[in-house]
Amino acid sequence: MGQKIVVDPITRIEGHLKITVEVENGKVKDAWSSGTMARGFEAILQGRDPRDAPFVTSRFCGVCYSVHQMASVRALDKAFGAKVPWGGTLLRNLAMGAQYIYDHILHFYHLSALDYIDIMAVAAYKGKDKGLNAVKDKVVGLVKAKDTFPLTPRYKPDEFSVTDPDMVTSAVKHYIDALTMQAKARNMGAIFGGRQPHYQSIVVGGFTQLPDVNQVARFRTMLDELSKFVNDVYIADVLAFGTGPLFPLAKIGLGGGHYNYLAYGALELDNTGESLVFPPGVIVGLNPKAIKVDRFDPNKITESVKYGWYKENKPQHPYNGEQVFDLDKKGAYSFVKAPRYNGKPMEVGPLARMLVAKNPDVLGLVAKGAKPGVVARHAARAIETRLVVDACYEWLDELLSEMTKPGFKIHDTAHWEPPETGIGAGFYEAPRGALGHWVKIKDKKIENYQCVVPSTWNASPRCEKKYRGQYEESLIGAPVPDPDNPINVVRIIRSFDPCLACAIHLIDPKSNEIKKFLVE
Amino acid sequence: MTRQNQSDTSKRLGGGSNAAPPKRIVILGVGNMLLSDEGVGVHVANKLMEMSLPPGVEVVEGGTDGFGLMNVVTGADRLIVVDAVKGGAAPGSIYRFDINDAPAYPDMYKTSVHQIGILEVVHLSELIGKTPETTIIGVEPKSLDMGMELSPEVKAKLPKIIELILEEIKRPSKH
Repeated sequence: MGQKIVVDPITRIEGHLKITVEVENGKVKDAWSSGTMARGFEAILQGRDPRDAPFVTSRFCGVCYSVHQMASVRALDKAFGAKVPWGGTLLRNLAMGAQYIYDHILHFYHLSALDYIDIMAVAAYKGKDKGLNAVKDKVVGLVKAKDTFPLTPRYKPDEFSVTDPDMVTSAVKHYIDALTMQAKARNMGAIFGGRQPHYQSIVVGGFTQLPDVNQVARFRTMLDELSKFVNDVYIADVLAFGTGPLFPLAKIGLGGGHYNYLAYGALELDNTGESLVFPPGVIVGLNPKAIKVDRFDPNKITESVKYGWYKENKPQHPYNGEQVFDLDKKGAYSFVKAPRYNGKPMEVGPLARMLVAKNPDVLGLVAKGAKPGVVARHAARAIETRLVVDACYEWLDELLSEMTKPGFKIHDTAHWEPPETGIGAGFYEAPRGALGHWVKIKDKKIENYQCVVPSTWNASPRCEKKYRGQYEESLIGAPVPDPDNPINVVRIIRSFDPCLACAIHLIDPKSNEIKKFLVE
Repeated sequence: MTRQNQSDTSKRLGGGSNAAPPKRIVILGVGNMLLSDEGVGVHVANKLMEMSLPPGVEVVEGGTDGFGLMNVVTGADRLIVVDAVKGGAAPGSIYRFDINDAPAYPDMYKTSVHQIGILEVVHLSELIGKTPETTIIGVEPKSLDMGMELSPEVKAKLPKIIELILEEIKRPSKH
């Protein structure tokens, strides 16, 4: 029996994900991923008007709000029999494109990059660049003032950490620049989304707000700036790190997992829906030299509750999923269910999407010896950000051309009223992976509603067949030479962009000090 | 924030176009409206949006967002955050404190959203040199159960919370 290490929480600042690893001879021998907070927001939807679902589900999470909204309207589009006009799809895609750009920049710079650099190397920067010297002064000043939030707390740098002062200082500068960039991407989303967070304009049947040429121009101006950052900074950094100092991590394939990948597909490039930025597909047991992609069949999705704190039940298709807690269940260790595709655990997210799409840039990295794992995951995320940026330009051009056509439509108004009965599945690709919503309508009200979110796929516990979830499997074999510094565990889990619980965020001071500020 | 964003997320009345630009005061209500009292900031923001507010005052309903509110935070000269605060007093109690009075990160206040809370975002904005003067109006929750209604204790305090916010926006800036 090796030594057990618990990392809780594992998200950058706070979270509801606990990872337990058993370490033997400096390597992870076994792993358990636990969602430590009960979900089950779906219950709030039962009996409501189905048209509420996109707005309610958008409140499940403060990061992935718009993707829940999109999965929800897609489920309703099916259930209502609505046909979204091309103009409506273009506007939905532009609003979502902004979300992708925001999310991926944020994930790389603010939630992950610090796992790979020794921030203190900044102090050794000797160059003449004014901007970088300002960064050096700032960081050194923070360290002196013992106020290094948010650059710490962190695990100790290890032999894989980047220590070159020029590279580290430039990365920290980009971290700061990226704060401004992600804020711009949020504003860009609000142009068509109507507001942010929680877009208002995405509804069943299409979109609510007719665009004007000024909005298109404003979007394009902001996109130009973001495009430049994505190409010149984000992708450049990821490639410089991934093929440079971090290549040893890529070569050992840290964080590989089951090598099963699933993408539902999203972001239409034409009106037929055949051509997508992210095509759907399934890869079982990746062979990088001859990638075989199977057709995605929604009927093959089931959710196991074998090791979840839920009432014992057979694996169920999400249409029939239920949420009955059993907190005393023997062997259970997570509130996350275990989704499986054809009985198998799957990785979802940027790496899955880029492998399913057989993206030449990602395959090129793999051919150079980067095994699919943490480094490839960050690279895939950066590369697909560029695909989304490029698609946004196409959508803007298409939109301008559509707007001039007589009878330009953005909504299928004939299908606004809920049907007496109906069912629908809405599949989407959230930045962090495949997202599905399933709705059953009876008497024009929601009878049942279920969501299977990306982190459920990735963070799932074991299932009936004892297959580990993807996080768990990807940890096996990871080097942990120092049990007090499980930095590789954190690198692996964060490379998936974990997003769990999505719930409470009240201010909760640990002391009662705050009472002295009582006014009423 | 974009003009689009302002017109939809906020109520901006008046605002003389020939005078020097007034200080931008942003009232930011945050919380999860699916978890009863956790959503008090959202309920307050929605109420304020129906009211006439002085020129230069905007209301933003930030939902459960954290990091994504950087654009709102850096666009404000003064920021009034309305949120549920667990301080241990009776449900419905109201707190008012300056962000600098709030115990500093990381141990003293705890945000449990998976990534980052609004107070951390304000601290982060210092890195890009655009930090607003920030006051928190906190409300002690009774219930954090799933549900879209506030508890009677907190609901009864909405008029008082709004009154305090209106006083707050009249308070002269420290800077």
